[in-house]
Amino acid sequence: MSRLTRSALAAAAIAAAGALALTSCSSGTQAGPASSGTVKTKTTLTYASGDAEPECLDPHVGGNYPQALVATQYLENLVSRDKDGKIIPWLASKWEVAEDGKTVTFTLKDGVKFTDGTALNWEAVKANVDHLQDPDTASSTGYLAFAKITSVTKGASELEAVVHLSAPDSALLESFAQTWNAIESPTALKRSQEENCAAPVGTGPFKVASWAKQDRVELVRNDAYTTAPADAATQSGQAALSAITWRFIPDSATRYAALQSGEVDVIDNPLPENIQAAGAEGSAIKDLNAPRPGASNRIELNSGQAPFNDHKVREAFIRSVDVNAGVESLFKGTAPRSGSALSSAEPLAVQSADAYPYDLEAAKKLLDEAGWTVGADGIREKDGKKLTVRFPVSTNQSAPAEQSLFTQLQAGAKAAGFDVQISLLDLSSWYGALGKNEYELVSAPYTKVGPDVLRILYHSSGIKPAPSGYFANHAQISDPELDKILDQASATVNDEAKRGELYKQAQEIIAKKQVILPIFDQQNHYLYRAGIEGLRALPTVNTPTFLDVKPIPAV
Amino acid sequence: MHHDARSAPGPTLGGEPGASAVPGPGAAAPGPAGPAGRPGAGAPAVRGHRSPWWLAALWRLLGAVVAIWLVATLGFVVLQALPGDPAEAAVGGPGSQASAAALQAAREQFGLDQPLPQQYLNYLGQLLRGDLGVSYGQKLPVVDVIAPLLWPTLLLAFCSLAVAWVLALGTALVATGRSRFAAALASGLELVASVLPGFWLAAVLVMVFSTQLGWFPAVSDNSARGLVLPALALAVPLAGYLAQTMREGMLSALDAPFAAAARTRGETPWGLRWRHALRHGLVPGINLSGWAFGYLISGAVVVETVFARPGLGRALLSAVTARDVPLVLGVTLVSALGYVLVTLLADALVALVDRRAAA
Amino acid sequence: MSAALSETRPRAVVHRLARLRPGTWLLAACGLVILLCAAVPGLIAPGDPLAIAPRESFLSPRWGHPFGTDESGRDLFTRVVHGTRSSVLIGVLSTLLGVGLGAVLGLVTGLGRRWLDAAGSRLIDAMLAFPTLLLALLLIAVRGPGVATVIVAVGLSSAPGYARLLRSEVRRVSRSGHVEAARMLGKGPVAIVWRHILPGALGPLLAVATLGVGQAIVWASALGYLGLGAPPPAPEWGAMLNAGRTYISNGWWMTVFPGLAIVGVGVVATLAGRRLSARWAGRGGAR
Repeated sequence: MSRLTRSALAAAAIAAAGALALTSCSSGTQAGPASSGTVKTKTTLTYASGDAEPECLDPHVGGNYPQALVATQYLENLVSRDKDGKIIPWLASKWEVAEDGKTVTFTLKDGVKFTDGTALNWEAVKANVDHLQDPDTASSTGYLAFAKITSVTKGASELEAVVHLSAPDSALLESFAQTWNAIESPTALKRSQEENCAAPVGTGPFKVASWAKQDRVELVRNDAYTTAPADAATQSGQAALSAITWRFIPDSATRYAALQSGEVDVIDNPLPENIQAAGAEGSAIKDLNAPRPGASNRIELNSGQAPFNDHKVREAFIRSVDVNAGVESLFKGTAPRSGSALSSAEPLAVQSADAYPYDLEAAKKLLDEAGWTVGADGIREKDGKKLTVRFPVSTNQSAPAEQSLFTQLQAGAKAAGFDVQISLLDLSSWYGALGKNEYELVSAPYTKVGPDVLRILYHSSGIKPAPSGYFANHAQISDPELDKILDQASATVNDEAKRGELYKQAQEIIAKKQVILPIFDQQNHYLYRAGIEGLRALPTVNTPTFLDVKPIPAV
Repeated sequence: MHHDARSAPGPTLGGEPGASAVPGPGAAAPGPAGPAGRPGAGAPAVRGHRSPWWLAALWRLLGAVVAIWLVATLGFVVLQALPGDPAEAAVGGPGSQASAAALQAAREQFGLDQPLPQQYLNYLGQLLRGDLGVSYGQKLPVVDVIAPLLWPTLLLAFCSLAVAWVLALGTALVATGRSRFAAALASGLELVASVLPGFWLAAVLVMVFSTQLGWFPAVSDNSARGLVLPALALAVPLAGYLAQTMREGMLSALDAPFAAAARTRGETPWGLRWRHALRHGLVPGINLSGWAFGYLISGAVVVETVFARPGLGRALLSAVTARDVPLVLGVTLVSALGYVLVTLLADALVALVDRRAAA
Repeated sequence: MSAALSETRPRAVVHRLARLRPGTWLLAACGLVILLCAAVPGLIAPGDPLAIAPRESFLSPRWGHPFGTDESGRDLFTRVVHGTRSSVLIGVLSTLLGVGLGAVLGLVTGLGRRWLDAAGSRLIDAMLAFPTLLLALLLIAVRGPGVATVIVAVGLSSAPGYARLLRSEVRRVSRSGHVEAARMLGKGPVAIVWRHILPGALGPLLAVATLGVGQAIVWASALGYLGLGAPPPAPEWGAMLNAGRTYISNGWWMTVFPGLAIVGVGVVATLAGRRLSARWAGRGGAR
């Protein structure tokens, strides 16, 4: 017995020593959150992003969503968009599109200074357009959006910037509203790209104080802030929050645990079940649903090569998968089914859910008609070739629940005789597979403000790859009529009704072609601690803005 | 007395106990990289006839330098096989819309247009000057990218190693005890610990101690509280191996004649283990630590991701994803250097313990 | 009489078996179950591991679903059982690959001339110093994810450990008396290596390799966590564990059962390895 006790004692001693070892390892400074009886508020907020940490904080460079998320806090655009999709003033108080659509004149707000003291004037606009169009900047998102701009000149005053276009562009204002086309200090842009990436300078409610790679970006309030967008609650003066700590926490379970414990106040990319829990009454965590604009989350069928160059096979695939059941089981009502190539954040989206019904028997019949017969293993064959479709999935771009959904669709399609081969790839390999045309199915997000995303994704010119091998038209639709409508819509300025009608036609053609399978909006939820007031998503690219957030309850 | 877990090639196979290159039980097993002794143990010139210590040390150092050069070469060669154009990483990452001219400019800037042998020589030349090149993605010198990440990873690794040692020592002491129940429990624990997947353990730790109990933060920082969970996630599987190895050394020491002699002198079982057997358990344990360090760096990839710690592991993962070749090579070299240094240190320690044991 | 005679031999076998310690029995039984699961999973879990039932997702363990169901309503018990094969295959094949490569390297360094030994040993050092995970990541980037890639990655990274072990064993055996004797008798080098050195040196290596099987399985599951293991929908434990981790807050069973399977197989493989090593070391593993 005594030996047992001694062993137990030894074990206890060891455990204590272990704790000691850990303690002695610490660098020692842990500012424990002070807890007191009364409801105290604080003006510092911690945001935890699950998106990849940007390599550059300037969204001109490259141009992806993680950059937009953080850049929304310190950069601003000439115009913004309200909830109904109407373009509203931001840095520009008004604008005028010429009759021929080839010049657009922006009138800038007076007396605006960037946080480095540089004044906002027409030259600043020119410097930003030049920066985005400079190949050395390596912009891809902003660059594409400004493709038609030929030059920026001075208007009637220092505060008037005239943008000249090679052809009318109905999407130009929407482009100017995108965070990737934000206006930065021309003085700051003159620095090296390295410096500008580390701390871009804008006019936003916050500014970049420091950036510890892989860990956090510290943002502090811009005390001289005056330039709220027209739909903000705070129309004059600075933000109530004094600082934001922007953290990068890649693991979704950890991120949620940190929110629950109050280590962080707001998170993005939550798991569906956490969104569902946040919807419950009395929950200590609230949900802000802000689907990304541009394209919906959809699976595209590569119509450029066999077997999906056959309309019947495409239709059969779409009929064979029960998307609704999968979405319901995995997303628990947090993600309504989409029936459009466009996000529901786009007012011009046309939902045609009946174009994508689930009907296994019809699918089988279509495959029979197309000459694909059931083989011994249940997989269909034609001329000795199996009905195999490759589905490269990017682990960066498709969330775990989406990957699970794809697995369910895979099982469903098998019942009709499709052999769907999912491969989980990292981002480079995924782009590599697409560039080499080694795919029949793909789910690629595309975020953009406005319906012009249809032209980028489904115009036949989008099949031609960039030198890197990238191309946007993954469905590889090449339809002269669709091209004509998209070009026409792009050129239709000063006539919103006609533009809307054209995009409606375009969506109908895409649906009829059966080249995409819309699933739901690009999921974009923010979870935040109950008690945080004034948090909203900017209706441009639906990134969160903290301008209106009131002091938040301390934990 | 059944030492049923007492397996082992153990020191009996190794010839000179302790100094042998033969791992203790399960030693080749830990992780695919299996420790199996320490690098350089047995440089042929030193082995047969005892040469002066400084010659042996010099030889070991030379061996270490050669090994680092081989790692650099290996890395350079393997990275050439990566699909995708590394120049793309320099012009906005995968899926960029860079023009052909921009791609070409990037190739020229990073010397990617030169023939491979030339690139290799340039690279070696850079290394000799202590320059790890410029990260394609971040456009910063790799040294500047790695430097701030080094300390968090090292801190995590050393804390884990320390915790693993403490846990392993405890388990080994209990497992070699006379209490059969305690010994069985301890060896069972060490066995399970050694096959626990670290990432799974990490998730369970977050679930229990962070979400449910709220004792420790889920997001790790360099404070004591923040280090507990990640250090444990790394240390527990490691402690499993260490304990197995140390217990083996101790058991064979307890079987040795000197132990019997000590017993007749009236040494208590506890004192016997603590004062005599432990030293023999330490040697294989120290030997294993060099390998353990390598394991910790690889393990850090997963643990740093789960606990959102900045560090080399995460940098490596994202650099591979983005095909940021200079950064991948940089992290590889730094971790190989760490590994080699720790094994050198372990060798010196073993020599010290051996000398004292022999005295 | 004849009946009694025919009884004695089985009885002797039974007697010998009965003398085995209960631990050995248990271990053998567990090993058998694992092998059965790997060889004929359909016998133990007759269901289809890929059959989805979205409306039955996230069911906790219950009658009909002893391990519960996953996010797609697939029966976890069936998936765990059917996943045994690929996990055991990864464990065994990658270890074989590692031992094979390690043996070649170990023999070359152990038997070769001094310069060959020095060069080979530095190569082994370099391989040990090369971060394991990086090797796996690179291989997966080059070859694409899949079971075969995992096997190669895990096998390659375990090779230097085995090589080092074999090298020292070879050197030990070649210095031993009977090899010296064989040399004196004028036997050729090939015969000496083949007849005298290899049998002595390979033994411990193989024993340690059985310990490596469990580790290889655990390591492969870590690749599954990074999303780089067997492609979906294959029931691979690492991938299942990873999926379960995502849903840890509303389905503990999804991570616990695959986790237990990995730990269980790891423990059984390690224990079996220990028995073998002990037997080789002449200490009598089945005492």
